[in-house]
Amino acid sequence: MNHALPVVASLIAMAVVFWPRYGLWARWQLAQELARRIRREDALKHLIKSEANGRVATLNSLAGALQISAANAASLLEELEERELVTFEDGRPLLRPAGRAMALHVVRAHRLWESYLAEQTGVPELEWHPRAEEREHLLTPEEADALAARLGHPTRDPHGDVIPPPHGDLEGDPGQSLNTAAPQTPVLITHIEDEPDTVYRQLVALGLRPGMRAFVIEKTPSRVRFWVDGNEQILAPILAQNVFVRPLPEFRTEDLVEEEFLSGLKPQARTRVIGLSPACRGQERRRLLDLGFVPGTVVEVEMISPAGDPTAYRVRGTIVALRREQANLIRVSSKEASDR
Amino acid sequence: MPPSPSQPASQSDQILAAAKQWRQQIPGDLHEHVVEAIYGQAARIAERSVSSPSQAARPTFDRSLDHILTSKLWGFPIMILLFAVMFWITITGANIPSAWLSWLLIDQGHSWLRGIFQSVGSPEWLTGFVVDGMYLATAWVVSVMLPPMAIFFPLFTLLEDFGYLPRVAFNLDRLFKVSGGHGKQAMTTMMGFGCNAAGVVATRIIDSPRERLLAIITNNFALCNGRWPTQFLIATVFLGSLVPAVLAGLVAAAAVTSVAMLGVLLTFLVSWGLSRTLLKGEVSTFSLELPPYRPPRFWQTLYTSLIDRTLFVLWRAVVFALPAGAVIWLVANVYVGGESLAEHFIRVADPLGLFIGLNGVILLAYVIAIPANEIVIPTVLMLTVMTTGLQDVGAGTGVMFELQSGDAVGQLLTAGGWTTLTAVNLMLFSLLHNPCSTTIYTIYRETGSAKWTMVSTLLPLALGFVVCALTAWGWRLLSVAPG
Repeated sequence: MNHALPVVASLIAMAVVFWPRYGLWARWQLAQELARRIRREDALKHLIKSEANGRVATLNSLAGALQISAANAASLLEELEERELVTFEDGRPLLRPAGRAMALHVVRAHRLWESYLAEQTGVPELEWHPRAEEREHLLTPEEADALAARLGHPTRDPHGDVIPPPHGDLEGDPGQSLNTAAPQTPVLITHIEDEPDTVYRQLVALGLRPGMRAFVIEKTPSRVRFWVDGNEQILAPILAQNVFVRPLPEFRTEDLVEEEFLSGLKPQARTRVIGLSPACRGQERRRLLDLGFVPGTVVEVEMISPAGDPTAYRVRGTIVALRREQANLIRVSSKEASDR
Repeated sequence: MPPSPSQPASQSDQILAAAKQWRQQIPGDLHEHVVEAIYGQAARIAERSVSSPSQAARPTFDRSLDHILTSKLWGFPIMILLFAVMFWITITGANIPSAWLSWLLIDQGHSWLRGIFQSVGSPEWLTGFVVDGMYLATAWVVSVMLPPMAIFFPLFTLLEDFGYLPRVAFNLDRLFKVSGGHGKQAMTTMMGFGCNAAGVVATRIIDSPRERLLAIITNNFALCNGRWPTQFLIATVFLGSLVPAVLAGLVAAAAVTSVAMLGVLLTFLVSWGLSRTLLKGEVSTFSLELPPYRPPRFWQTLYTSLIDRTLFVLWRAVVFALPAGAVIWLVANVYVGGESLAEHFIRVADPLGLFIGLNGVILLAYVIAIPANEIVIPTVLMLTVMTTGLQDVGAGTGVMFELQSGDAVGQLLTAGGWTTLTAVNLMLFSLLHNPCSTTIYTIYRETGSAKWTMVSTLLPLALGFVVCALTAWGWRLLSVAPG
């Protein structure tokens, strides 16, 4: 009995550590393997993005993007070459077909997962990118396809990036940045760059989203003053550089300025809905559409809660209460609507 | 698409390429653009082709009523007054039928049924098991539960039918928004004061998934009808007796109100915490329709609320009370090694119970009285008699009973080692413990998820242990320090 106890105890301890697949040692090795794979995939992602945007990937740009030392980046590139994912030309790393396919899948998984988080969950916007950074390495190509089907084969992620098809090319970041847009010309925000994170957080905090309409009011070397969805904003050029736009030839600035938000409507005033803001997504958007907030509908402020919020609106003969944040998502005309 | 070198295939490729190109240019989700266009088109068609008789879009009566009921000055006072009246009607109105049912089912029915069993020569264990255990527990639940629910639910449904309840949600939404919830949670909490199981069912009115889960999980913090009597009894016997007789009623009422308010406070705090942690990723959409007022259909309302709510809840309670009664009788009457199961459990649980300012008897009572909070006090009394070995009170081992006078309850419980701390902590634990089995089962049916059922069950229980332990710790600190 006295001798049996230590033996049993050490046997159990050995089993806990060395048990195949579930033991601590096996788990630790699996975790190490996953960490190495994530690093490889991140490196491939950096290469494909550089290529798509016409930049040259170097050892230093890779080390910078992955936040590792140059020596580590070098051994990482060596490993990729050994695995026949990357080849070198004039000392510059280039993707081989297998590496390209893997990189494309990771980018696709990332953007699909962001779309999923935006459309079908209530995960806050600032967490989409970090969560997708983890999930992109865990989705298999089959799972990514199933997710795409479930989301209705979206073409763009919530930041406005094109989601690459399973076998295709990666498109570069879309055209012009807000910095280079001509003043007093209506543009559509097509993309908000989600890296680096600190810049992205500031842009989100300002409420900027792909799909919003804007025009630059004035540009100086130190700041860009612009109108966007009813508000005036000022950005430093370094921030504005991460906001991508395309021209909206079918609109005039006067058309844009006429829009305001339902939350600004005075009691007893009535107006017409122009549309829902692009910041309104997923179930929230469908719910508002169901309630009748579609272009052309006449809306009237009926009453305000004694606590100040929500406000009840009359829309299509029913009374619907909306919170201020929601009323902020509904674009209406600044002109008083006469009657239905 | 099968690849083919012929001319039509390349044409279709061209079309596909063009479609793809166009799709790339459309911002946002293509499906939503289509939906938006369909809605818009439908509205335009309806506008052109449907004519409505020329009358005010909204009756002036509704408008003036809304302006009073949601006004800054009158909105809240009217609301508080209405609910105070509703609770008063429920509590005072339920006393008479409750006493009558109790007389019929417990005083008369119990001894009558015992008589029948004995006259047909049934062995004592069978009589005990069926009559003292199963029948008595069920009779108790029915007589305490039925009358208040039969009054409260119709009143509630009448207000709902009239259209007032959505206005309450409208008035209170701001409060709930801060904690991450929906204004309609005010209504489900209110319903929870009647019965948590019914409150959980009522959360169906909240269509946003996250807010609905919040309302379900926090519903247990609304002190239900089955727990009010426990609160009043303990507050009167232990806290009321601390002050002069004139103030006794006032102190007891203040104590019970504080516990109920603590429940409301916890509803907000727990909602706030959950919406920032566990429920962070759940979808949340707010919308609140304010339907026009209409005269309530009295008889129909009465009928549906009795069938849908009262009988539904009662039936589930009975289903759970039957086996619970059997268990209560068994733990008191099955002996292992010279002691009953109950005594074994109480001995083991006593150190833990005393540590958190309760005792083993209370813990056992809460374990075996999971089916209904109504039978906690009768079970505690029965178990206390059993453990103290008092001879002249009670109705026999494993038979629940109630005492007519509060003083008698006080004497019995003091003999069982109760102090003021025990009383205070029992009141807290009665607010903060797992929901009754009827509610747990209802939560499972409504959420369809074992995970959320576990959270709703264990979260209040854990809170109860923590709050009781802290209270006991503070109490000992304060009562030792002056001496």
